[in-house]
Amino acid sequence: MTGNALPKDPYNVIITGVGGQGNVLASRILANMLVRKGYAVTIGETFGASQRGGSVMSHLRVSRQGSWSPQIPKGKADVVVALEPTEAVRVLADYGNPDIMIVSNTRPVHSVGVIAGDLEYPPLEQTKKKAEELSARAWFIDATDEALKLGHPILGNVIMLGALAGMSPLPLDMEDFKAVMLTSLSADKLDINVRAFTLGRELVSH
Amino acid sequence: MSELFDGKEGTQHLLMGNEAIARGALEAGVRVAAGYPGTPSSEIIESLARVADKANMYVEWSVNEKVAMEVAAAGSFAELRSLTAMKQNGVNVASDFLLHLAGSGTRGGMVLVPCEDPGALSSINEGESRYFARMMELPLLEPGDFQEVKDMVKWAFELSEELRMLVVLRSVTRLSHASGMVTYGPLPPREATARFRHEGFVLDPQEGVLISAPVGYKHELQQGKIRKAREMFENSPFNTYTGPEKPEVLIITSSACTLYSKEAVHLLGLKDRVGILKLGTTWPLPVNLLTRYLSLTDTIFIVEEVIPFMEENIKVIAAERAAEIGIKKFYGKNDGTLPMVGELNPDFVIGALCKILNIEYKARPDEYTQAAQNIPFTGEAPHRELTFCPGCPHRASFWSIHNALELDGRKGFVCGDIGCYAMAMLPTGFSVVKTVHAMGSGSGIASGFGKLGQFHFDQPIVAVCGDSTFFHTAIPALINARHHKADFTLVILDNSGTAMTGFQPHPGLDVNALGDTVPSIDIADVCRSMGARVEVRDPFDLEETRKVLNELMEDEEGLKVLILRQICTLSPEKKAGKKYEMSINEEICIGENCGCNRLCTRIFRCPGLVWDTERQVTKLDEVICIGCGVCADICPAGAIQRKEAGIS
Amino acid sequence: MSLFGPNELIEDVINKNLCIGCGACIELCPYFRSYKGRTAMLFPCTKEEGRCYAFCPKIEVDLDRLSEFFFQAPYSGAPLGRYRSIHTAKAGPKADAGDFQAGGTVSALIGFALRKGYFDAAVLTDKEGILPVPRIITDPADVSRCSTSKYTSAPTLSALNQAVRQGYKHIGVVGTPCQVLAVAQMRMNPTAEPDFSDPIALTLGLFCTWSVYYRAFEPFIAARVDISRVIKVDIPPPPAEVMEIYTAEEKIEIGLDEIRELVPDTCSYCIDMTSEFADISVGVLEGRTDMNTLIVRTERGQKIVDEAVAEGFLVLEDMPGENLEHLQWAAGNKKKRAFAKAREEGMINGAEGTRSYLRVDPATVSDCIA
Repeated sequence: MTGNALPKDPYNVIITGVGGQGNVLASRILANMLVRKGYAVTIGETFGASQRGGSVMSHLRVSRQGSWSPQIPKGKADVVVALEPTEAVRVLADYGNPDIMIVSNTRPVHSVGVIAGDLEYPPLEQTKKKAEELSARAWFIDATDEALKLGHPILGNVIMLGALAGMSPLPLDMEDFKAVMLTSLSADKLDINVRAFTLGRELVSH
Repeated sequence: MSELFDGKEGTQHLLMGNEAIARGALEAGVRVAAGYPGTPSSEIIESLARVADKANMYVEWSVNEKVAMEVAAAGSFAELRSLTAMKQNGVNVASDFLLHLAGSGTRGGMVLVPCEDPGALSSINEGESRYFARMMELPLLEPGDFQEVKDMVKWAFELSEELRMLVVLRSVTRLSHASGMVTYGPLPPREATARFRHEGFVLDPQEGVLISAPVGYKHELQQGKIRKAREMFENSPFNTYTGPEKPEVLIITSSACTLYSKEAVHLLGLKDRVGILKLGTTWPLPVNLLTRYLSLTDTIFIVEEVIPFMEENIKVIAAERAAEIGIKKFYGKNDGTLPMVGELNPDFVIGALCKILNIEYKARPDEYTQAAQNIPFTGEAPHRELTFCPGCPHRASFWSIHNALELDGRKGFVCGDIGCYAMAMLPTGFSVVKTVHAMGSGSGIASGFGKLGQFHFDQPIVAVCGDSTFFHTAIPALINARHHKADFTLVILDNSGTAMTGFQPHPGLDVNALGDTVPSIDIADVCRSMGARVEVRDPFDLEETRKVLNELMEDEEGLKVLILRQICTLSPEKKAGKKYEMSINEEICIGENCGCNRLCTRIFRCPGLVWDTERQVTKLDEVICIGCGVCADICPAGAIQRKEAGIS
Repeated sequence: MSLFGPNELIEDVINKNLCIGCGACIELCPYFRSYKGRTAMLFPCTKEEGRCYAFCPKIEVDLDRLSEFFFQAPYSGAPLGRYRSIHTAKAGPKADAGDFQAGGTVSALIGFALRKGYFDAAVLTDKEGILPVPRIITDPADVSRCSTSKYTSAPTLSALNQAVRQGYKHIGVVGTPCQVLAVAQMRMNPTAEPDFSDPIALTLGLFCTWSVYYRAFEPFIAARVDISRVIKVDIPPPPAEVMEIYTAEEKIEIGLDEIRELVPDTCSYCIDMTSEFADISVGVLEGRTDMNTLIVRTERGQKIVDEAVAEGFLVLEDMPGENLEHLQWAAGNKKKRAFAKAREEGMINGAEGTRSYLRVDPATVSDCIA
């Protein structure tokens, strides 16, 4: 077994978003990168009905000591990757703590309640403020917009993973990223994903 | 994942629980696997289907769970190892056959994997199958982590062959749909031969007939097998104890609750005060083993999901052995230490242990909790109600069903069924669905409503079911309705696949689980052969759909069937490209004014449309819109416009 | 007259069974629709003020204000309302022939106005089987297919709303008294639309004592004759007391007492037998099947009648005194009964801010009832 020591064992990551955003795939890529580094990873995911427009979370437990609960205990998340900004904040209600780190996409996905006018969607500034107030540090990046520039919105998730690599203590390197992507991707599509991953890392570097 | 089959012995892989079940079955040399899709079970059959060719297996998505179990049983009868997997509810469907199978016994190792959904994360109930194991006198196994999932599945086949009876291996959402590390074992040789021996002495278990009669003889035989299973379980390596020699509290747990218990003890720093007895064999319970551990302390805390199955059965053992082990204080569900409904998690166990041991625990500072806990209620994170996907044919279908019912004006309603479309009890389906029960029950209930005319019942009845549900259990209900001249309209929401669970094939399609081309059964032909009036429409043609529905509701000649055919948005075919490029002419968008009042965003509510509060117009979210074009027909002003997209 | 919205319309009109299904609230928005004579609201609407409510002839109708607007005088309470002249009439030799009920006066006038370009469209009521169906007619040759009376209420005004939306600027409307009342309210632009110009060239009102809901009528007729074979339904003028159902082979007569059983309650609140807010009103003439009664109420009504007569589309005769007397007696009776009933039920002149069925000088009501 190789790899860096983690500040905590298990180290707890939440990837959160809205049904249909590609949450499950993102958690799989991340987990397999960590497995390559010799960690035992446990993932808990929400499937099924909640995929239809609901909030969706993946819980990752990264450890040297085998399996943990697929549900992170309350207040015990170490880092949050939010594919949608209000989901970053929602997670904090149950899993937040003063030491948590957040990286969030800025692109909103409006719930049907918001679309219908029954609920209001908060301005991004308010979301950022809340996230900053309730975390050790929060990064907000325009992952979907950048992904659209690269040619496809789904690359937003790879940008987010790149950002996680840039801001968290997790040992997420390019070599593992490439290796994991190649298990499910044709080689010609690797380049654009590598660009997205690199871009994500750069977006949190300042 | 080809890794599921190709991964080398001794290598470690991150597997989803359902994949671990599949790997365990592969390592056991399973030859026949059949199931019906249902969350959280579907990936078991899917994973096996993907490697069926390499592994020399027969895998099918059966028409329903009872048939799946029968198909798998045939494999066992022919001395092959077989597996059947299903959502818990499927066990209810298959239970009639299950009782007979328990009586007749099996030959090749046969394992039933029910995947249960405590907390009903993807279900409309949190039913349990553990009591089936007890009621039908079958051995029940419950793995407690991912490695065990794989290892126990493999062992279950051996156990089944040793006992010549079906073995039940229960999984739950937090195992089936969670992932963890699994080290692979070896795979058996590819070759296998099937043969059903039936020419021996009738009562010979290997060469006689397979039947649960003579009942007295067979039942006694079965109970003998269960006694043997109990003896084997006393020494099973899957029943483990972790903790001090003299714990203050003994947790007895199983399944995913093992992980919750372990986490709670870890977080509370109680490893020297609390012991965990994890049971992998939960029926029949290993009496001597339990007696031994119950002796360690007087405080017993039982952690399980959902109903107190272990708790009640362990209490019987504690009562029987009271003279030997003394009086115990039990904590669990019956005394309210843990909730009787919903799924558990580490926090429930933490809370309970704090109460039992009178200790305090804070996950985070109080100030933080005060600032964070109300986030979902303060508008910081607006609630996300479930909704049909953008471009979902169901939204269009229920729009027309709703409008037809309102225009009809006789307080008609919809009997719902199981599938994505059950969400039509919510605003996303315009709240038209008023009953939802088991698979196929919408049609059965409608058949009953349709016979209440003599009691002045004059409300029009519409039932809905999906294409897969139609084949699963709606057909007998329709035959019943037709035969008894029950008056209702069945709308079949045919989206060409079992959409909710991931688009598995069904008998209406010309492809099977293995990807082979197979004969398809035409839903319209089936309904016509019953003598029903059958209409077929495209639900995206809203007005035509509405019109024909009104006509059918007014036709009081018994069973009418409207098939609304439009492929699911999530299908690979649909994902390939947009049919229409949509745009919004903001100049003519009426917005909130009289004449529209935001019909598209306030009522139709497709996630692809967004109301711009500031500019008072509807906007298109081009990342979300899939270009179905239906909203153009909703817009009264013609502001939402579509033009044919060149499909790439 | 106060403005309210769709929710009040549901509460006051639909839920209280006052809706006759005239179509005034249909085709304004996607929420209200008519199906087989019944008005349904498909989805909830949150507007606090809406045209649906403002146009409805069954709620918050301010008779004095309407009368001031159209006749520059308060509501008279006279049995036949305010009018300039009254005649008997029939289609003239230039008018298109057709299967008219009585004298064919309505078809003749509409045909004339379309031909002369006074109307760019006419909103009439056609039928499919026995179901009345609103139509926008632009070709005079199509007028005759909409002739003959329909005894079931029809959402005719949905076609008017449609015609307005399609941009017609000079529309002729033929309607029953309730529909004419709705049209009068529409013409007053009650919701103060900014670019409003009155699209109505002429309102031609029919006489009506009641109509039947299609949904009650259809099974009633179906129990007696195969509906698909019905070619015409007629009620000959008094003193005949029958409805005649014609098929190709036979004529079935149904006593009017049986039909009246089907009349909805809302008709008993109606104070208007002769379409008092129309430009011209036309009805049967008692004892004669070849002539109509024709009431000219406004200047523009007078103008079109005069021209139609001059050009041979219409023939007028004097109204015999006893016919006029009897018409007044009948119309006065209906008005009296309806006012009495509505007043007794507290539906007239509620306090400001509340909703009332009618608003009118209380003295006028008392005079009518006396």
